[in-house]
Amino acid sequence: MANLNIKSKQENTYGAIVIGSGMSGGFAAKELCDKGVKTLVLERGRSVIHNKDYPTTNMMPWEFEHRGQMPEDIQRENPVVSRCYAFREDAAHFFVKDQEHPYIQEKPFDWIRGYQTGGKSLLWARQVQRWSDHDFEGPARDGFAVDWPIRYKDLAPWYSYVEKFVGVAGFHDGIPHLPDGEFLPGIELTAAEEYFKSVVEQKYPGRNVISGRCAHITGNAAYYAKQGRGICQHRTICQRGCPFGGYFSSNSASLPWAQRTGNLTLKNNAVVHSIIYDDAQQKATGVRVIDANTKEVTEYFAPIIFVNASALNTNLILLNSTSKRFPNGLGNDNGLMGKYVAFHNYRGGVSGEYDGLKAFTTEGKRPTSGYMPRFRNVDKQETNFLRGYAAGIHGSRSKDVNYSGTGADLVKNMMNPSYGPWRIGSHMMGETIPKESNYVALDTDKKDDWGMPQLKVNVDYDQNDLDMIQDYRDQLAEMFDEAGFKNIRTWDDERRPGLDIHEMGGVRMGHDPKTSLLNKHHQLHACPNVYVTDGACMTSTSTQNPSLTYMVFAARAVDHAMKNQG
Amino acid sequence: MNRRLALKQLAMAAGGLALIPSCDFSEENILAAYDELQITESQQQLLQKLVDTIIPKTDLKGAVELGVHDFVLVMANDCMSDGEQKQFLTGLKGFDDYTKKSSGTRFTKMDNVEAEKTVNAILEGKPTSDDEMATHYFLQTTKKYTIQGYMNSEYVMTELMPFQLVPGPEFNGKKEIVPGEKVNING
Ligand SMILES: Cc1cc2nc3c(=O)[nH]c(=O)nc-3n(C[C@H](O)[C@H](O)[C@H](O)COP(=O)(O)OP(=O)(O)OC[C@H]3O[C@@H](n4cnc5c(N)ncnc54)[C@H](O)[C@@H]3O)c2cc1C
Repeated sequence: MANLNIKSKQENTYGAIVIGSGMSGGFAAKELCDKGVKTLVLERGRSVIHNKDYPTTNMMPWEFEHRGQMPEDIQRENPVVSRCYAFREDAAHFFVKDQEHPYIQEKPFDWIRGYQTGGKSLLWARQVQRWSDHDFEGPARDGFAVDWPIRYKDLAPWYSYVEKFVGVAGFHDGIPHLPDGEFLPGIELTAAEEYFKSVVEQKYPGRNVISGRCAHITGNAAYYAKQGRGICQHRTICQRGCPFGGYFSSNSASLPWAQRTGNLTLKNNAVVHSIIYDDAQQKATGVRVIDANTKEVTEYFAPIIFVNASALNTNLILLNSTSKRFPNGLGNDNGLMGKYVAFHNYRGGVSGEYDGLKAFTTEGKRPTSGYMPRFRNVDKQETNFLRGYAAGIHGSRSKDVNYSGTGADLVKNMMNPSYGPWRIGSHMMGETIPKESNYVALDTDKKDDWGMPQLKVNVDYDQNDLDMIQDYRDQLAEMFDEAGFKNIRTWDDERRPGLDIHEMGGVRMGHDPKTSLLNKHHQLHACPNVYVTDGACMTSTSTQNPSLTYMVFAARAVDHAMKNQG
Repeated sequence: MNRRLALKQLAMAAGGLALIPSCDFSEENILAAYDELQITESQQQLLQKLVDTIIPKTDLKGAVELGVHDFVLVMANDCMSDGEQKQFLTGLKGFDDYTKKSSGTRFTKMDNVEAEKTVNAILEGKPTSDDEMATHYFLQTTKKYTIQGYMNSEYVMTELMPFQLVPGPEFNGKKEIVPGEKVNING
C-alpha cells in the first residue's frame, strides 16, 4: 500500500501546475513548457481542439435553424448568459448555461463564463490595448484601492514579448496614456470614423480616435506559420473558432505551442477543488481535483502552482483552499480575499447619423472598430467622478431596403437597396472603483455538483459609476454634435454588473501583506509558490480591455518563478 | 432540448412536416414538428398561401419554393414568447373568418390579386379591436419572418446578393461608390 501511494504520487508529480486553460492559463502553460518545465494544465471543461471542435465554423447563415437567434425556451432557462451579445446560435456551445453551474447573486450580477479548453479566449472580441502609468498610478494618485506594486516599465518588455507571439494589428498613434506596441499592419478606420477623428483631434486637444488594436494576424505570415496560424481573413465570426487561427486564442496558439514542446499534459474534465497546503513544509504542494464525470478525487503535485481559473473562479478556488494554517483560504491572513472586486461599466451608448461623405462606403469586413482612449481625468482630476472611460467608435454606411408592401413590388424593392446615411455609434468602457463592499464569498451551505461551495456575488454600481455614465453621454453627444451628426441619441441600458465580462480583483496585488494578497511577482505573500496572474490579481481596473495584460502578467510571473524557484 | 432535437429529426425525415397519427379521423392532424403551436395542416396551408402572397414567384424564385413557410413556423414555434405565440395563433386561426367578414371571401379562396390587396389593407390599417390586433400581429410577424427567411436563404445569399464566408483581408474604409452599381446588402 505504502509503495503504491509513493508510486502514484510520483506519477502525479509535475514541474508546475496551471489551473485553467483560458487566456491567462494557456499563456502561463506556454511559457513554462518553453522553459522545459513538465507542466500539468487542469481544465474543468471539455476538450476543444483547434479545428476539430469548431462545429459551426464553416456554416453559412442559412444553415442555422433560427438564423442565429436563440430559441425562446433556451433564453428563458438561461437569463444570465442570454444577456450576452455573443450568446447566439453559432457560439452558444462555448458558453456556460445558467443551470449547469449555479452561483448566488446576493446582488444582480451577470457572470458570463466559458468552461472548456481555451476558456473565454475562444469568444472574446480581441481588443488589446496596453495599460500605461496613468492606470498603474491611478490608485496612488486618486486615493482609492492600494498602490500597484508595479509600473508600466516593469511590463513594457513583456507587453512586447506577448504581443509578438499573439499578433496584434494596430497603428503607432503616439498617445502617452495608451502606449504603442509591437504592431502588425493596422486595419484602417472607415470614412466616417476618419472624419470624426479629424473633428475631435482638432477641436478637443488631448482627445484621440484610433483604430482599436486587435489580436489578429495581419502580416509577418512566415513567423505565424510556425505557430500553425494564418493571416486573418476578416470573416468576423471569430466566436465560432477560427479555422485559420487568424485571431489569437489559447486553442489555436498557446496550447498547441506548449504541446509541441513535449512538456505539456492537459487534463480536461478536471475540476480543481482546492490547493493543498503542507503545514510542515510551509508551502503549497499540489491540488485536489474532482473528475467532472466520475466525481473521483485525485491529487496532483508540483513545486509551483499557477492559478488562472478566471477572476472569480480563482477567488473561489483560493477561498476553498483551507488548512490549519489558512482557515479562511490560502494566503488569506488579512481577510481581504474576495474583496475589492471591480469590473468595467459598459452601460452607456450613443448613436447618430452623418449626411456627408455620400460618395463613399466601405468594402470588406474588419475585425475591429474605432477606439477613443480615455480622455477624462488623465493628467489631473477635472470632473466630479474618479477615473474615466474609453469609448468604442463605429461608423458604417447604412444600406436602405424598402420592405413596404407585398408581392412583386416587395421583391423588386428588396432586390434594389440603396445607400442610406453613415451610421455612427459608440459604447462606453468605464473604470469602476474597487471597494471593500464589492466582494465575493463562499456560501456555507449550498454546494455545486462537484462539492464546491457556491460563490456568492455582491457587486454593484455606485454614484461614481452613474456620474461617469452621464458624463460619457454628455461628452460623446457633444462631440457628435460638433461633428455635425444628426439624430443623436444617448442611453444608459442599465445592464447588470458583470455583463462587460471584465470582472477583476479579490486577490489584489500590493506592497503590503496587510492590505493585499499578492506581491509584485504575483505570488501570494503568505504562500509564495502560488502565483495568480488572471483578473483576480488586479488592484484596479483601468478602462482598457484586460486580457492582454493578464497574459503579460503570466509571462512575467513564469520568468520570475524560473529564476527564483526553478 | 429533446423537443428541439425531435423537431429537427422530424423536419429532416419528412421534409419539414411530420404528422402525429390521430385515432379520430374527424379531427385534423396536428403538425408534430411545431409542437408549441399545435397547428393543423389546413392552417399550415393557409400560412403557405400567405407567404406566397408576400413573396410570390416572379422572375425570381418565390418564398414557398424556398420553403420559407416552414421557416416562419419554426421561428413562431421556437423563438416567440408565450404571449406572442398566443397572438400569432389567434391571428392565424381566425384569419379565414376575419377576411370573410371584412371582404366577403375567405383568404384561402381568394385569387392572388385579391389576396395581396387584402393583406396590404390589413397591414396598412390601424387595428382597434382585439381581433384586429391579433390579425395585424399575425400578418406583421409572418411578413417579418418571410422576409428574413427569404433574404437569408441560400438562393438569395448565393445567387442574388452573394455572401462571402471568407471575404479576405482587404478592407477599404473609404471606397468610392460607382454610380448605378448594384448594392449588395451582404457585400
Ligand atoms: C463575448 C466576449 C467578449 C470579450 N471581449 C474581450 C476583448 O475584446 N478584450 C479583452 O481583453 N477581453 C475580452 N473578453 C474577456 C476575456 O475573454 C477574458 O478576460 C479572458 O478570457 C480571461 O482569461 P482567463 O484565463 O482569466 O479566463 P478564461 O479565459 O475564462 O479561462 C479560465 C479557464 O479556467 C477554467 N476553470 C475555471 N474554474 C476551474 C476549476 N475549478 N478547475 C479547473 N479549471 C477551471 C475554465 O473552465 C476556463 O477554461 C471577452 C469575453 C467575452 C465572453
